Parts: sequence; C-alpha cells; structure tokens
Amino acid sequence: MIKKIYLDPYIFIGISSLAMVGVLILFSASEGDTTIVLKQTIYVVLGLLLFLIVSQPDPDIYRRFSPLILFVTLVLVFVAYFFGPEINGAKRWIRLFGFSFQPSELLKISLPLFLASFLFDKKLPINAKQTVISIFFILACFLSVYIQPDLGTGLLIAASGFLVLFLAGLSWVFIGITIAAILIFSPFIWNNLLEPFQRDRIWTLFNPESDPYGSGWNIIQSKIAIGSGGFFGKGYGEGSQTHLNFLPETQTDFIFSVLAEEFGFIGVLLLLILYSFVLLRTFYLAVNARDRFCRLVIGGFIFTFGFNVMINLAMVIGLIPVVGMPLPFFSRGGTSLLSIFLMFGIITSMSTHKKFIPK
Amino acid sequence: MDFHERQLERQSFTQRSLLVASLLLIFIVVILFRTFSLQISNFTEFDKASLNNRTYSVPVQPLRGKILDRNGEVISENIATFDLVTTPRDIKDVDEFLEKIEKIIDLDKDEIDLYIKNFNSKAFFNRELVLKKNLSEIEIARFEVRGFEHREAFVGKRFRRVSRYDDIFSHVLGYTGVARENNLDEQNRFRSNSWRDAVFSYANGLIEGKAGLEKTYNQSLTGTFGIKQFEVDARGRLVKELSFTPPINGENILTTLDIDAQKVAANQLGRRKGSIVAVDVETGGIVAIYSYPTFSVNKMANGISQLDYEDLINDPDKPFFDRSVAGRYPPASTIKPLVGIHALNRGQISWTTKIDDPGFFELPEDGRIFRSWGEIAHGLINLNQALIRSSNTYFFNLAYNSGINELADDFEKFGFGRTVCVDCILEDGGLVPRPQWKMNNLNFGWFKGDTVNIGVGQGYISATPIQLAHYTAALANKGTKKPLFLNNSLSGKIPSSEIELENFNQRDWRLLHKAMESVVESDFGTARRIRDQKDFLIAAKTGTGEIISLDSREEYERIREDQGLRDHAIIVAFAPAEKPKYAVSVIIENGESGGSVAGPVALNILKELLKE
Repeated sequence: MIKKIYLDPYIFIGISSLAMVGVLILFSASEGDTTIVLKQTIYVVLGLLLFLIVSQPDPDIYRRFSPLILFVTLVLVFVAYFFGPEINGAKRWIRLFGFSFQPSELLKISLPLFLASFLFDKKLPINAKQTVISIFFILACFLSVYIQPDLGTGLLIAASGFLVLFLAGLSWVFIGITIAAILIFSPFIWNNLLEPFQRDRIWTLFNPESDPYGSGWNIIQSKIAIGSGGFFGKGYGEGSQTHLNFLPETQTDFIFSVLAEEFGFIGVLLLLILYSFVLLRTFYLAVNARDRFCRLVIGGFIFTFGFNVMINLAMVIGLIPVVGMPLPFFSRGGTSLLSIFLMFGIITSMSTHKKFIPK
Repeated sequence: MDFHERQLERQSFTQRSLLVASLLLIFIVVILFRTFSLQISNFTEFDKASLNNRTYSVPVQPLRGKILDRNGEVISENIATFDLVTTPRDIKDVDEFLEKIEKIIDLDKDEIDLYIKNFNSKAFFNRELVLKKNLSEIEIARFEVRGFEHREAFVGKRFRRVSRYDDIFSHVLGYTGVARENNLDEQNRFRSNSWRDAVFSYANGLIEGKAGLEKTYNQSLTGTFGIKQFEVDARGRLVKELSFTPPINGENILTTLDIDAQKVAANQLGRRKGSIVAVDVETGGIVAIYSYPTFSVNKMANGISQLDYEDLINDPDKPFFDRSVAGRYPPASTIKPLVGIHALNRGQISWTTKIDDPGFFELPEDGRIFRSWGEIAHGLINLNQALIRSSNTYFFNLAYNSGINELADDFEKFGFGRTVCVDCILEDGGLVPRPQWKMNNLNFGWFKGDTVNIGVGQGYISATPIQLAHYTAALANKGTKKPLFLNNSLSGKIPSSEIELENFNQRDWRLLHKAMESVVESDFGTARRIRDQKDFLIAAKTGTGEIISLDSREEYERIREDQGLRDHAIIVAFAPAEKPKYAVSVIIENGESGGSVAGPVALNILKELLKE
C-alpha cells in the first residue's frame, strides 16, 4: 500500500508543460515525422513515470548509493566508448532493443550526487585535499566524455561538478588563483589545446559573414530564422527557414530557432517564463532543502540545467560559439530527456521528504 | 558540525547560490534583449533575408515584336514549333524512359548524349529538360496518342524567329541569334544565375538581334521579361511556384518598307551584283532597299550548317556585305546635276552658257586629255543639253573653273561624305575628297586634274547607293533634304532642312527637273530606252562608273573581257516628274550601261510604287 505520493505540483506542472511544448515544436522541426515524434512522446511518458518513481524514496538512498551510481555510469560510458557504434565520428551510444542510450548524459546526475555525498559533512571552507579529490573526479568524468568526443556535454558535466564544489564552499582563494591562471594561460589554450574547427567556431561567432556558406552558415541562418519570426511568428509549421532546410540541426541544437521563427517573440517570452518558473521553484526548494546534501544536489542540478538552457539559447542567437549542446525538453534525444526527468525526480524526492530525526 | 557551523554553512550556500542565480538572471536578460533586437528591432532586415532565401525568381522570355511593312504586312514573325520537354524528377530510370520514347520518336545519338549529360542535375533541381527539338506533326500525333503513358514528358510550344521572305530583306531586316551575354537592362532584375533557369519562349533560348532592324530595334522588339517566382529550399530545389508576372511581348515595328516593291527590286536585279534603294520623297522613308548577293535569314536565325556558313563567309562576292548602305561606288555621271547646280549657284554659268565639246577636255596646265565616254563630240552645248547627253567635257569644264573645296562643300550639302539614314546599321559615309584628305591618305598634293575628274563623279569621290537615293530625293524636293529612315514611327519626327543655295531659285529647279525629264524623254537622252514603257514622267540621270581609269575606248574593249573590270551601270531617278513621290537609285556592278541596263530596273520599281 502506498501511503503517500511524494510530488511537488509546481515542478510537475512546469516540466510536463515544457515537455509537451517540446514535442509540439519537435513535430514541426521534424517535418511532421510521426516516427520521431512518437518515439519522443514515449520518452516523455517514460520520463514522467521515472520522475514519479524516483521521487518516492528517501534521498538518503541516493546519498548512500552515489559512489555506486557514479561507478556504474562511468562503466557504461566506457562500454559505449569501446564497444558502442560510431555515429558521426563519435562513440557515445549504447544500443539496446532498437533504442539508443547515451550514458554520458547520466553523468550530469551521478557526478553532482557523488560530490554532494562526498562534501556534505566537510568543514567550511573545503580544504585543499578535499578540493583536489573533487577536482580529480570532475576531470575524470569530463575526460571520459571529452574523448568520445563530446565537448558540449563534457563541459556541462564539469560545470555540474564545479557548481557543487562551489556551493559546498570552495575557498575563494582557490577560485581567485584558478581564474587568474586561466586568464594567463588562455593564449596557450587557444593556440595549442583547441582543435582548428573549435577555433573556427569561436572566430565565426565574431565574424560570421567571413564564411557565409561554410562555418558561418549555421549561425547566419539561425539568426535569419529567429529575426524573421518577428513579434508573432510565422505560424506553426510555417517557418520557411525551418521547412526549406535553411536552418541546420532543427531537431537538436537549433530547435529554439524553430520555435522563435514560428511563434515569434511572444513564443520566446513564454518559453523563458516557463523555464524561469521551473528554475525559481527549484531555487526555492534548494535554499529550503532539509539538509546540506540535498541543498548541494538540488543546487548542482538546477544550475547545471539553467546554464544548459542559457548556453543553448545564447549559442543559437549568436552570442557565444556553437558547441554541441541540446536544449533540455526540446531537442530530440531520449537519454537526455530521461536524465532530465530523473533529475527532477530526485529534486522532488529531496524536497518532499522531511528529515527523519533520530530520537 | 555544530549548530553554529550548520547555520554558517546554510548562509554560505544561500549566498553562493544567489550569486549563481544572478549570473543566470543576467544570462536571461541578455538573451531576452538579444532576441528582442533580432525579432523586433531588426525584423525588417531578417524578414527580407528570409524571403530572399526562400524565393527564386526566373525570367520568362517575352515574344519579339513582329516586323511589318508599311501596309502592316508581316515581314518577320514568330512561328510556333514543338519540342519534347521532360521533367527528369518524375523519371525513375533514364534508360528505360528513353527506350520507351524511342519507340515513338526517333532520337539521334547527340540528342541522347546531351540529355543524359544534363539529366541528373535537372532532376535534382526539379527543372525541365528538352529531349528533342522541333517535332514534326507526325511525331506530335504519335506522342499525343500515347501521351497518357508519359506523364513525365510533354510537348512544349517553343517559338522560332522566321521571316516570310527568306532572302530578299536579308540585309535590312537582319536576323536573331543566341545572345552571347545579356546586355539588356533586364539583367539587374534577376540574380545572374537565374538566367540559366529562365523560361524560354524560343527554341533557341535567349536570342537577340544580331544585324539589321532586328539589332537596331532589339530593345523594343525584345519586350519585357516576365517573372516566375518559385519557392526554393536551401539546396536550390524548386518546391512550388509562388507567383507569375507574365512577360510583355515586344512591340511590333511598322517599317517604311514595301514588300511588293522589295519583291520587284529583288526580281529586277536578279542574280546581278548591285543594289537598289527607293525612298518616299515626301517623308524620307525607305520603301525598298536591296543588295545582292544575299543570304537566308531563316537559316542564320535557326541553324545553318557549318559548311553552308563557311561558303557564305568565303564567297568572294561577300553576300553579308550590304552594298546599299556600305558599298562605295563612283557616282559617275549621276553627280552631274549637282555639279550643274554648283556652277549655276556660283554664277559661273547660266542656263544659256554654251561650251564647246570636241569629245574631250584638255587640261590647260599640262595638256592632259580627259575623254568623254565614247569620245563623241557634242559641239557647242548648254547645261540642259550637257545633262541630257551626259557630256563629260562640259562638266570637266565646270569643275575645272571651280575649286575642289567649293565643290566638296556643295557635295556635302547634298549628303555625300556622310551618313544619311537615321536607323540603318553599318552605314558608310562614302568619300568626298579634299586636298587635305589626299595629303593625309595618299601622301600626294592635289592636282587640278583631280578636281576635273570629280566633275563627272569619277576619281577619288565615292558614294553609297543610299546616298544616291537620298541625293535624288533632295533633287526631287527642290533642295529640301530629308534624312532617310526605316521605322515608320519616325515619319514626320525627323526635321528636314533646306539646302543653302543663295542664287539657285525655283526657276532653276524647274529647268533642272526638265533637263532630267529629257534624259528619258529626249531623243538624245541617255535613258531614252525606257521612254515608251510607262504612263508617267520620270526624271533621271544615268551614270557609268569606271572601275579603272583608261585613256581610250580600245583599251576598255580589251579589259572588258574581265567581267569584274567592266563599268558599273548606275541610274538615279524620281517620279512622277511633275510632283515627285519616289526617288530611286540603282547600281548594277559591271552592268556597263546606266541607261539601258540600270534604267529598266529603276523604271519597274517606280511602276510598282506608283501603281494605283
């Protein structure tokens, strides 16, 4: 007998609205491809189910099992790397029963969980040894994804780790030194560590007209799509940039441009309101969480999610270089969707369970 | 952790997450601001860019205007022909398709090769592709019967530029050909690569006038291109047609030409090299202008074999050369009325002044002899008699007693040495020589003898048939000079001018006309042969253009064996003499006698023009 269903109605409404709008936009972006949309819908339903399931247990379970969860995730990432199929030059998938599964997406959950469980009982500020251990895990996770290669996801995973570390009380001295070091070494990074195509992307951002049919094409067409949407948009399914293939990657990275073209500034505003609603609610939940572990996890999750959204948007409107980064709830891709639901499920679990105080 | 520490930790967390949250907030604000700038502030720019992306306008070719004669009869028009057009995108297997078509319509290897070469790209871009041009009626019928089987192919109407008179209007009419580059203003209305996809009305695609009237009036004949706007995707494939602005066909050109007169001209000249120009004296409109040898304009416009073309190019008689406007001939004795006017106007002679003609003229300076044609002695004669009999001695005298510059001035007043037609193409100005010209070009000083020769239209002077016609019309109009033209819409729009002759009055003109009438009517007239073949009066002047200068009749008989060296037969005439309507000039190369060879030709044209 289930005595009580743990559910935060605000989160539930927020994320299911986002998921539904996401499917709607994907339907247009995929030229009404029912196979793709049906698959995505199944993922949404599965996701909601998963969301409800992981909301129920007490968060202590996640704390206790977090090392195991991280370990399993990393194993899967390596399985994908060594045994998975190569798609578009990247090895990041595991195929199972006709569904592709991308374990690296799960690192966005397991790494913050692990770090929070490692740091939740440490004294403030975090000392050097703990910092080094944390960074070691962050780098390990980042590298395991970076080699696939998948820079976008890798950076997001690293960000999720550093966010937890920061929220847990990383010393300001350390932060200051790191920022100074990055500034000093950035020319070296630019010249030696970045691949030519990555340099190209950054260069193109500042000067897309220099190569309108090459590396500048995507960003130029994306800006045209968004700009030509105007205030009210061209109407659902009427975006010429989208449907005549001027816009690239409409189902993944550039799906926001589809929404902006067809629903205009009004649509963009509504989308941002929806995201902000979810972000604000979770921010409230983080601050009011029952203990330090939950605070750190919710904080790590939600800020990673927030940055993920903002980086994608900033990218497609031409504010920052194009890195492969899907838009949560919108971009096609089952694992990404499931991991987001998983994330919100854990958040719900952590915010709805009262602290058991031993007598 | 104690309570205090826990409090501190919570405080630190809240502060730090607020920091991160404000970072996110800044992000959101910037994104909102940027989106606003894209979608609201710069909407127009991006909307235009998006429209530009998805639309593709191709030109739709208009039909050229017809070229009509002065009665509105068609000289040149557009004839519909039929091509087998296919849409490669709908064809799954080319070889299978061709096999199917070949059962109905014969295809040669070139056609198949060309088709297969272009097939894939046309299929990819969803464009049409012509498989076979110019289907015969039988082929069309065979195809139509089985048409239901071939939805991917259809019979498309394509025009050809055709003249109803293949080779009698050739030089004046000109012909069309494939435009090498599009020089029209239209060019700027379309993207340059859209010409590749233009909807062509002509089987030959983009055509333009290459010669004659087709070239002169190419712009207005061409018309205005229509626009077919398609929606295209990012790879340039046509998705659907968005709009169609029909082309505006070119304007018809009503010319001053007269088909019947032109037919007579062609008929009369036959296979003799030469030229005929007839003009409407009242307007200056050219009613007939013919040059032989000629060529087929329809072959030139719609396909001529390499061999035929080379034959034309290498023909020593130069069929492409328009003798009427660019052939330089000595005007010979046809210039004599003008020399007479010149002498009368200067007060050098009067109509009663008599000069002895012993059959030759002796240059006082060095005793050089200038002979008359046939070396006939006319005795003491006045200007009237000198014109009728075409006495050389008389005009040698007049020229001798004038000066070359004075003569040249008057020649130029009558249009010699300059172009006389407003809308003819490649017109030559002929040559009115002056001492300076001779010095510059031949590096020799001017001799008095040079002036004497010019008195009878020989020597360095040369004129084109159209100049002679223009001059004759000026004589007929008693000194009113009218520029010649071909386009009827110019009628009355070109100002005519009075030739300045201070001392030459209406009586003089009447006497001059009388003298020219007598060239035909008098028993002594050089054109008396045509006297009895008509029911109206003709005023004329004959000429015999010498190709090389010779000293005696005997010498000419010797060189006469070479046909190419025989004299040119020339006549200029206007009629009806009392109230002139038409002026005509005829030059028959190596025809020898102006009166009896060129005369009947001129007569028949005037007869045709004056028939009720």
